[in-house]
Amino acid sequence: MADTDRVAVTVAEWPDDADSDEGVVVNWFIREGRSIDEGKSLCEVQVEKVSLDVLAPVSGTLVEVVCGEDDEFARGDTLAWMEPA
Amino acid sequence: MAQQEKREVIERELTMSRAMVEAIATEMRDNEEVFYMGEDVADYGGIFDSTEGLLDEFGYDRIMDVPISETAYLGAAVGAAQEGMRPIAELMFVDFFGVAMDQIYNQMAKNTYMSGGNVSVPMVLTAAVGGTYNDAAQHSQTLYGTFAHVPGMKVVVPSTAYDAKGLMHNAIRDDDPVVYMFHKRLMGIGWLPAPKGPKTPVPEEDYTIPFGSADLKREGDDVTIVTLGLHVHRALDAAESLADDGVDAEVVDLRSLVPLDTDTIVESVEKTGNLVVVDEDYRSYGVTGEIVASVADESLGALDAVERVALPDVPIPYSRPLEQEVVPDAEDIEAAVQRTQ
Repeated sequence: MADTDRVAVTVAEWPDDADSDEGVVVNWFIREGRSIDEGKSLCEVQVEKVSLDVLAPVSGTLVEVVCGEDDEFARGDTLAWMEPA
Repeated sequence: MAQQEKREVIERELTMSRAMVEAIATEMRDNEEVFYMGEDVADYGGIFDSTEGLLDEFGYDRIMDVPISETAYLGAAVGAAQEGMRPIAELMFVDFFGVAMDQIYNQMAKNTYMSGGNVSVPMVLTAAVGGTYNDAAQHSQTLYGTFAHVPGMKVVVPSTAYDAKGLMHNAIRDDDPVVYMFHKRLMGIGWLPAPKGPKTPVPEEDYTIPFGSADLKREGDDVTIVTLGLHVHRALDAAESLADDGVDAEVVDLRSLVPLDTDTIVESVEKTGNLVVVDEDYRSYGVTGEIVASVADESLGALDAVERVALPDVPIPYSRPLEQEVVPDAEDIEAAVQRTQ
């Protein structure tokens, strides 16, 4: 499947009260190659010590994790790529 | 193993805290007598994420923050349980048990017996245990031996998300008091990173893990390492490194201290001949001595060599290098195994 069909996983809603534009990935809940339904928790990130879940933007397969556990990322960064089912 | 075959089709993995919370939420939906009380368990979600998200679904009537009096709220839980409810009451740190020792040791554990069987006490006492994060002597203990010592309560200690969920379902459904001790380092919290092992595939549906069923987390022929909680993962690390040296270690995860699965331990020692018991509790009068004695009772002749790896009998230091020195790590386990070979 072509790259253009892949869907980027990002932190959709950045916490309003966060001063920082950086976060850290705490936990991934599925491994690369596994599938998940839209709206289920894909991973957990922390911004200024506040945890939030990143939900799967589509139903499909997690094809590539860009930011692994303990990796830091900036607001808007792609955390992973999904391939819609 | 059947369990592992089942796991292969499961796509998602959960942290231990999420697996515990999922079991609690399921039981609360199924039975309105189940409720949770403790310090900072409502708005905060438990300082080690033991109740994260439950307030949103169940509200303050069933997820209750309590005043800082362990005697008062553990006593309330015992009373509610005797009246037919199924309370889960949390000790924020197991170290705080001392201020409520009468409620735990004399009421919760003994009221079924003292009433001649007229009441049962179907409650779960959850407690965060363990060190390795520099929280000093009054917030780092496991106290496994202290809780397993007194008759009248079951004591369980999960080491993975899969086990945590099944043991929690079993704990809530049990008609007797169960002490459910969860290790902070295994919960999967951002500021307290877990080792690799505790996050596992977890089925969406509910399931129970019977108490008194130890789990072989690794099979091997040369030595039996018996342990629980965080040290299951340290023992597995040690086993991996020992394998490079040609030593094949079996790792037995107790999962429950009461009841104790002596059969599985003895069977393993009869195969390997060597026993290493690893505990994060104090060495004296504790889990290591009990396991060794139980094997000696049942099968003395099977024991070629015995080693105990535990905390020395000192308060757990705040200082990072000193705490690392007293809490057994994989290298300590490896060295103990080598002494048996």
